[in-house]
Amino acid sequence: MAATVRIPTPLRKLTNDKAEVEAEGSNIESIIENLEANYAGIKERICDEAGNIRRFVNIYLNDEDIRFLDGKTTAVNDGDEVSIIPAIAGGR
Amino acid sequence: MLELRHDTTSEIYAHAMEEFPNECCGAIMADGVREFVRRCRNVQNERHAEDPETYPRDARTAYLMDPDDLIKIHREVDTEGRKIKAFYHSHPNEDAYFSAKDKSDATEPWGIPNYPDTVYVVISLYDRQINVARAFSWDESTEDFVEVPIGVAGDM
Ligand SMILES: [Zn+2]
Repeated sequence: MAATVRIPTPLRKLTNDKAEVEAEGSNIESIIENLEANYAGIKERICDEAGNIRRFVNIYLNDEDIRFLDGKTTAVNDGDEVSIIPAIAGGR
Repeated sequence: MLELRHDTTSEIYAHAMEEFPNECCGAIMADGVREFVRRCRNVQNERHAEDPETYPRDARTAYLMDPDDLIKIHREVDTEGRKIKAFYHSHPNEDAYFSAKDKSDATEPWGIPNYPDTVYVVISLYDRQINVARAFSWDESTEDFVEVPIGVAGDM
């Protein structure tokens, strides 16, 4: 299974400035592992020490937040688009 | 300098007033000629209710843009060729400064700005009266957010 992964600006130094890369995997977790194999260091940016997706990182499968699907075990099909987008937050 | 159209300013002020006493949030999209305000949902209250330890603040003093709204903004960038000119949020009953939380959240989780080319607009209002809006952007040389003046587009 090959998916297109959209890389946010701050992580593009790991992907040779590419905004989109291809990754293989049957679910989000294996997509992240495949990204790590090609772009070392990207996994620790996306996941914390316990392996969970970092709180400020939103991952979407096509237009759905994986938080509301099956999280890291969300199935990925050929041709899907995975987007990694940092959260927008703040306060007073 | 951040130049905003008069209509844009009116729209974000209206949003801030409607959401009072909660913080509002949204994006200003631009295609070079036109500007489009995209009001977003502040999901801080939901997250605070689910997990008050991780999210100690409620929507009166913090905002978290609905991820569903955020992806729509990114789709608009892709499909319409627009750029995200600014993100905005309000500070109810507070001044329009770029707070420590604004700074840290804008650089979470990687310690570098997530949107180095996008301006952040902060709207101060007291009760439902607009006080002032200020804009802040990332400055490479000082590696900090600095205030940039807001101008009215079209004014000479
Ligand atoms: Zn703020």
